[in-house]
Amino acid sequence: MLNYTNAITEEKSYSGLQMKEIKPVMKLVIRGKKREFLSAIGKSLNLLLPTEANTSSSSDKLTALWLSPDEWMIYSNEILNSETNEYETENLLNKNISKTNLGAVTDVTDQFVLINMKGDKIFDLFETGSPFNFNDFRNKKGSVTQTILAKIDVIIHNQNKNEVNLFVRHSFSQHLFSWMNDSASRL
Amino acid sequence: MTKNLRVKTSKFIDETYKVSFKFNGTTYYGYKGDTLASALLANDIHLVGRSFKYHRPRGIMTAGSEEPNAIVQLHNNTSRTEPNVRATEIEIYEGLEASSQNCWPSVNFDIGGINNFLSPVLPAGFYYKTFMWPASFWEKYEYFIRKSAGLGKSPTVPDPDIYEHKYIHCDVLVVGAGISGIIAAKTAAKNGFKTLLLDEKSYLGGSTIYQNSENFKISNQISSSWLEKEINEIKKIENLEIKTRTSVAAFHGYNFLLARENLTDHLPLDQRKNKTRHRLLKIRAKKVIMATGSLERPLIFDNNDRPGILLSSAIEKYANLFGVACGERNVLFTNNDSAYETAISLFQKGINIEAIVDNREEIDSKLIKETEKNNIKVYKGYTVVDTTGYKRINKISIMQLSKDGQKVMGSKVSITCDCLGISGGWTPAVHLFTQSGGKLKFRDEDQVFIPDKYPSDQISIGSCNGDFTLNEILSSIPNKLKDFLNIKKTDYENLEVYSSFNKSKRNIWLLPSDKLIGKTKPFVDYQNDATAKDIKLALREGFRSIEHVKRYTTTGMGTDQGKLGNMHALGIISETAGSKMGELGTTTFRPPYTPLTFGTIVGRNVGEYFDIFRKTPIHDWHVKNKAKFENVGQWKRAWYYPKDGEDMHEAVQRESKAARDSAGILDASTLGKIDIQGTDASEFLNRVYTNAWSKLAIGKCRYGLMLNEDGMVYDDGVTTRLDENHYIMTTTTGGAATVLGKLEDYLQTEWPELDVYLTSVTDHYATVSVCGPNSKKIVSQVIPDLDFSDENFPHMSFKNAKIGKIKCRVMRISFTGEHSYEINVQANYGKSVWEKCIEAGKEFNITPYGTETMHLLRAEKGFIIVGQDTDATMTPIDLQMDWIVSKKKYDFIGKRSLYRSDTIKEDRKQLVGLLTENPDDVLEEGAQIVADMNKSPVEMLGHVTSSYYSPNLKKSIALGVVRGGKNMMGQKLIIPMENKQINVTVADPVFLDKENKRLNA
Repeated sequence: MLNYTNAITEEKSYSGLQMKEIKPVMKLVIRGKKREFLSAIGKSLNLLLPTEANTSSSSDKLTALWLSPDEWMIYSNEILNSETNEYETENLLNKNISKTNLGAVTDVTDQFVLINMKGDKIFDLFETGSPFNFNDFRNKKGSVTQTILAKIDVIIHNQNKNEVNLFVRHSFSQHLFSWMNDSASRL
Repeated sequence: MTKNLRVKTSKFIDETYKVSFKFNGTTYYGYKGDTLASALLANDIHLVGRSFKYHRPRGIMTAGSEEPNAIVQLHNNTSRTEPNVRATEIEIYEGLEASSQNCWPSVNFDIGGINNFLSPVLPAGFYYKTFMWPASFWEKYEYFIRKSAGLGKSPTVPDPDIYEHKYIHCDVLVVGAGISGIIAAKTAAKNGFKTLLLDEKSYLGGSTIYQNSENFKISNQISSSWLEKEINEIKKIENLEIKTRTSVAAFHGYNFLLARENLTDHLPLDQRKNKTRHRLLKIRAKKVIMATGSLERPLIFDNNDRPGILLSSAIEKYANLFGVACGERNVLFTNNDSAYETAISLFQKGINIEAIVDNREEIDSKLIKETEKNNIKVYKGYTVVDTTGYKRINKISIMQLSKDGQKVMGSKVSITCDCLGISGGWTPAVHLFTQSGGKLKFRDEDQVFIPDKYPSDQISIGSCNGDFTLNEILSSIPNKLKDFLNIKKTDYENLEVYSSFNKSKRNIWLLPSDKLIGKTKPFVDYQNDATAKDIKLALREGFRSIEHVKRYTTTGMGTDQGKLGNMHALGIISETAGSKMGELGTTTFRPPYTPLTFGTIVGRNVGEYFDIFRKTPIHDWHVKNKAKFENVGQWKRAWYYPKDGEDMHEAVQRESKAARDSAGILDASTLGKIDIQGTDASEFLNRVYTNAWSKLAIGKCRYGLMLNEDGMVYDDGVTTRLDENHYIMTTTTGGAATVLGKLEDYLQTEWPELDVYLTSVTDHYATVSVCGPNSKKIVSQVIPDLDFSDENFPHMSFKNAKIGKIKCRVMRISFTGEHSYEINVQANYGKSVWEKCIEAGKEFNITPYGTETMHLLRAEKGFIIVGQDTDATMTPIDLQMDWIVSKKKYDFIGKRSLYRSDTIKEDRKQLVGLLTENPDDVLEEGAQIVADMNKSPVEMLGHVTSSYYSPNLKKSIALGVVRGGKNMMGQKLIIPMENKQINVTVADPVFLDKENKRLNA
């Protein structure tokens, strides 16, 4: 039996900002160009992949983020059991997408750490380290961006008003979280 | 006992809040809202510092960021010390300590003042001319030059303050919150534009906000009252952000601007803890409105630099804004109407004015009439020819000007004074506009440069655009804003404006004197002590370009960048050389507009945030087990694990012996991992690697070498076929991102027909590498369900496995030459797998080893490290890896380049092994390799790329690149070192187990 050790162990709270890691959350990168790929995903997951750049779509259990014209990240809305890393969705897509040569399905569950941020100072924090223009992004629920924060690549998903999910590579996550806390302490 | 020159209550100063501060060790008092300059002037202190070259006493000259003289050192000898702070900008706070610069032992008695008397022998270019010879003396000169260079003192201890950066995106940025900026910001914001308004001052409204004269009215209200209402309105607009104490430092292309927001410099030191001091704003604006105003020009005459000589507008500001009189016997010297505004302000406040000297003869304006009505003597058609008073002006001499303004005539008139206000007209502040790439044009009638061609979506309005009077500003701005913002109307159409200002000006760049110019000191650049005389000398010596004259005389090269005197320098050059001002151009205005602290530029990129770093999922275990780390790319990698006081050499010897004798364990999580899927995945690999991939069976691994288009080795690694159309590629640690980028680039641009998808999984997997003769016994305990027999699981193959319910991939591959396994598991289970391997390996003395031991072990086997044994000039053939280059494949990246005449030459540098004559001599990596020390010059054949002492072979081993090395086996070569020569023999690069018996042991 293996122990599960997540990257960020603390939840942090500041005036107008709370940050914590959400885990374990299944994350898959799916890639494909064909129309059949899109329809097979839709049928398999009961989820239409977003085709408009920098947007997302959701079902009860899953959220899909547009990453590039042939690339999406799908992540589970629910917290999973850390005792196994067998994912029903991955197996289903392997069967319906990979095996049928419609596209690629890659497990990136631990490639990214998911940091959930809540509060009215989220974008004040981003402004201290990201050159991205969040003016429209912050008002558009479901918008997605791939940008840099404190020189580190991140994917940011606007979940709701005053709530975002931030995905950062596992190896950078502790450094970024430390930087975010440093910056948040002065907001 | 100092005097109190506070004259009248000002609403901008909080007289209920007394602030004590120290200047040159003496305690003084001011009020909240004072700048250091206004507080010193209120205490009748003008002498603030000494000039750079001649150490002449200098006082406060302006009331803004253009100040050349009143620059001070704050908090000397503390961690917060800062040199060259403008007294005119820093706001006083309780506990402020300032001191004069560039003087010793004191500003009142400065030994360096002797330079003033030596000035006849210190002309422009003195240093260039004097210290050229004898050449051997340069080091002695340099010591003294360096000692005397600079003004203030740099801090010697770390800065305790916090600095930050902030990105701002707005629709409209308005720079400058004077009357023009306020109007523009309100108009933009009220029309729905997300607007940002910046001003370097602590208050809004520019100079209009303290203009309390009946001579300037808008809609029948005194201009300041009208503007105050506007300011109160804009503060309520939601989509308008206002930042004061914020100075725009740079205006780059495409409306990208940098500004420094000053957040705590006005607070007492004990209130600054944990607060950001300065914030660098990185602003992207769709549209920029420059409303930066204009700077009053000084006048250039003999001894125009004494303490007590200020710009006329500064005297007005000190009186109106700070309630401070700059002197008790004031004289104003002007060539335009501005000084009369000052005179009326002073008169209203009861401040004595001895006289006004106006170089215009025929003048007629309401302002002048009102001045004369107040019994102030006006000398028309006169100029100041000299001033006296060493540490404070006490007298001026004036003479009548000739009609052409080139000579003086008549007799001298002396006027006693303690303050002289000078006004030479106004210069639009176009610095930021030109930084953005804007082109200027010269307006002859009033001798000013104004914006002409805009390089981006921006406009200049108000006095920075050459509209100096209230009438001009308010009549031009509404239409400009309508055009620029594409709006139909503004709130400012047809305003009733009353202004008594007459625009007439008599511009004389260098005022004549009754003395020869060689006997005068008419300062043009106050901070660097450049005079009109120096500029004329530069022209006599053949300099013509303004840029050359600038550098030769140092005009405009001080911390103030010559904001006051640059126009006069241009004017004097133009007059002397007989060229037109407009054709002469200006010197280049470069960022920053005013100096920035280093902290502002650096922001939070200090200490632990200096650079970003990556940790493996097993990092904490390495820390707990006292590993030393090295930086590999952005990763922190365990370097070695010292035990019982071992140094690196001892630790590496122990670790490498253990790995060969029993078992070693390495955290290999940092290697790049790229998931490759698609029906053309095999074809894709055929194209990117030099060897063939089509026939690699599912479940097998293969080493590949990737070349650049030039045929040089770019990256290497093992790729595993997981399924028919599914591979996982490993790359070097440092190359992971660039390899992925390159491959994605090829797929998108060169080979779009291929059905291949790449996804980085570097961070998804933790990789635990167990090697050594006992490795199989250890991993089979950790993964008991997997058949580790050689038949089922031979070298260079892979298996899917499970540890409990956790899926993982196990590869039997080796970078050490030992029997090895790599367990790849999802990152969050990586530490647990590592610990299980350590636990299982206890009985076999499993030894964690770091990158240093890894390098040694692979060098024993002659395995290359891309980037260490290669340097982008090595082909696979150079590396003696001909075997990996397929001769049958139609193409692969770099193939064509391998057959160029240069790459097939026999005498290219080639990778070889090197064995030292004395087996204990360990070569230095990077050392040169030669064959004949007697040849002149000595011919360098190559260099050592990797070198170690091998405890397993009990001798020193090295890899190196040697010209024609492949055909030099057994040949003796020499490694010349600082104190000795080491003899080496060229050998096979594989030092251990050439037959690969250990891999299959």
